[in-house]
Amino acid sequence: MSAGGFYQEFEVFSKRTDSTPLQYQFSLLAPNQELAFVMAQENFMRREPVADIWIVKRTDIRKMTYEEKDTLARLDNKDYRNAKGYGYLKKKWRKYEQNMLDEKEILSWGGEKKGEKD
Amino acid sequence: MKKIDFPPEESMYRTALVELLYQLADDDFILAYRGSEWLGLAPHIEEDVAFSSINQDMMGHAAMFYQLLEDLGEGDVDDLSHSRKTNERKNGVLLERVNGPGHYLGKHEFDWAYTVVRHYFYTQFKKVRMDSLKTSSYQPLADVAVKVRMEIYYHLLHWKTWFLQLMQSNSDSRGRMEKAVQRVWDDVDSLLCYGPNGDDIVKAGLIEAEDKLLQRWKHFLTPVFEAVHLSIPEKLKPAAASGREGVHTKDLEEALAVLSEVYYMDTTASW
Amino acid sequence: MSDTVINQQTEAENYKRFMKKIESGEKIEADDWMPDDYRYTLIKLISMHGISEIMGALPEKEWVPRAPSIKRKLGIMAKVQDEMGHGQLLLRVTEDLMKPTGKTREDIMQDLFSGRLKFHNVFHMEAPTWGDAGLIGWLVDGAAIISQTNMLHASYGPYARALKRICAEEVFHAQHGEAIIMALAEGTEAQKTMVQEAVNRWWESLLMFFGPADASTTGSSKQDTTIKYKIRSKTNEDLRQDFFSKYIPRVKSLGLTIPDETMYFDKEQGLWVYRQPDWSKFKDIIRNKGPKSQERLQLRIHSHSINAWVRDALSQ
Repeated sequence: MSAGGFYQEFEVFSKRTDSTPLQYQFSLLAPNQELAFVMAQENFMRREPVADIWIVKRTDIRKMTYEEKDTLARLDNKDYRNAKGYGYLKKKWRKYEQNMLDEKEILSWGGEKKGEKD
Repeated sequence: MKKIDFPPEESMYRTALVELLYQLADDDFILAYRGSEWLGLAPHIEEDVAFSSINQDMMGHAAMFYQLLEDLGEGDVDDLSHSRKTNERKNGVLLERVNGPGHYLGKHEFDWAYTVVRHYFYTQFKKVRMDSLKTSSYQPLADVAVKVRMEIYYHLLHWKTWFLQLMQSNSDSRGRMEKAVQRVWDDVDSLLCYGPNGDDIVKAGLIEAEDKLLQRWKHFLTPVFEAVHLSIPEKLKPAAASGREGVHTKDLEEALAVLSEVYYMDTTASW
Repeated sequence: MSDTVINQQTEAENYKRFMKKIESGEKIEADDWMPDDYRYTLIKLISMHGISEIMGALPEKEWVPRAPSIKRKLGIMAKVQDEMGHGQLLLRVTEDLMKPTGKTREDIMQDLFSGRLKFHNVFHMEAPTWGDAGLIGWLVDGAAIISQTNMLHASYGPYARALKRICAEEVFHAQHGEAIIMALAEGTEAQKTMVQEAVNRWWESLLMFFGPADASTTGSSKQDTTIKYKIRSKTNEDLRQDFFSKYIPRVKSLGLTIPDETMYFDKEQGLWVYRQPDWSKFKDIIRNKGPKSQERLQLRIHSHSINAWVRDALSQ
């Protein structure tokens, strides 16, 4: 059991299916993790399929403050990090009579056919 | 259990089957009803929402058992659940007891400790019962048991969590819980017995014998009881009237009057 | 001295940034800077909305055990469960907004009990028949859908997200209510009478649902502030007119009568003309002087107090 009263804040996350990413649902009040856990699905996901549920005590989350959100901004000058910055290679490969191995091509190597994912 | 190729029309088999189905249906129906009286009044909003889902699940299970009765020509699901008189009801007496004295709209004394203990004991029993019914000689019942079992995992986790926590918190809570446990022990025999047709029910291969289920039930309760330093009585107090033979308390009579109030305004009308 | 000046500038800058955000359609989040009157307007609006859901469970709750079939019992249980669930979502939003004031859910409940926190006028009224249970689902929830969808794009992100969940469930509520009402309207004479009487009983409350057209009627209205901060877009009267346009044809199509023989649609103005409800009665009702105010409040206080031991036990 926990210290600090009956109304502790818990954040609830869930996955709809095994292959979908974890998604934030909502927060609830509960006296401890176990009770938060047994109330989570029925409070936020009683009409939809669920494959997994995570409960996190809010005080364990390091959130950004309003001011800290300023630290998120970046200049749009980082083409060298992305395929976009290397688009000119396509033309160069053509000279060698080769296709460029672009993102679409490389990601297709996993063997998944179209529509197979999820 | 081996499947018996009994045609459902065969009279002794049918009688036993119908008897058991009434017990199953009435048990879930009346406790779901008791649970529904709590709606909006639980100790905590989040819990109110979770508890209501359990009540809906249980009433859904009752509907599945009533449907099996309807399929056997016993009558329409809503008539079976709403119009049968007190002495026709087969639920265990434990499940019909009020949540506490007083009306659900007035100055009631609904007891959360009693609710937690009763639901925990019942749900654990229901789990054992559905496990056994999976191999029932009556295939449609076995099929329903498999479905019902799916939802019991959550119910059991929910009530066991509440049971353990309230047992292990402060002395006020412990005292209330112990009192509730005592009250539930006094009635629990009514739940575990199959009534006057019990032998036929077992002989027909519909479900295993009472004492087998009782042992399994105690087996599941034991570690939980040990964890909270409580002992399980060797022998259960025999119920004066179990409910299985149609003898019930005033509590049930009053509940039936409420739950069928609108239904009886016009039993031929569509609502 | 210089500190104060800097803070003042920051406040002004914060306000500018906040308004710019709102005007560009961005959402404000719980931990973001916000002007006090934005915060207090939201607290007032959402705590009342949330507690109204919790109190709103009570009139229908009366009919949960009495619903006439298993299907109806399940339907109304699920509906009242949703009301409690909506209360949960909205109180969570309020509780986060109240954080800087140090208030918690317990304070919200105590404010309700003391009469400081009001709940919606419709939930002070009687629901004496099964027809009322159906009517609440159909028309009261119908009115709720109109007023809640009006705030789906509210500038306050957590409220908008809660409303998105709520409105999705309200669609089920309205259909649940329609199913009950249609069964009655297509049923026996006694059943038809039951619905018509429910319509008559609820008509005035439905008119009051959206609140007075302006502050001149009851002395106060927050609608200007909520519109300025893009919490809502339409006025009370706009919403009431929307409700009429959506529901009056439906009510009539079922053979039911609107208990206002003066009511008509003025094509030139494009407006419904109707008899005003008694707004002094409205003021009384929301001051907990409605027919069921005290009884429902007492039930809420009572259940909160007899279960206090559970919360105490698990507080350690």
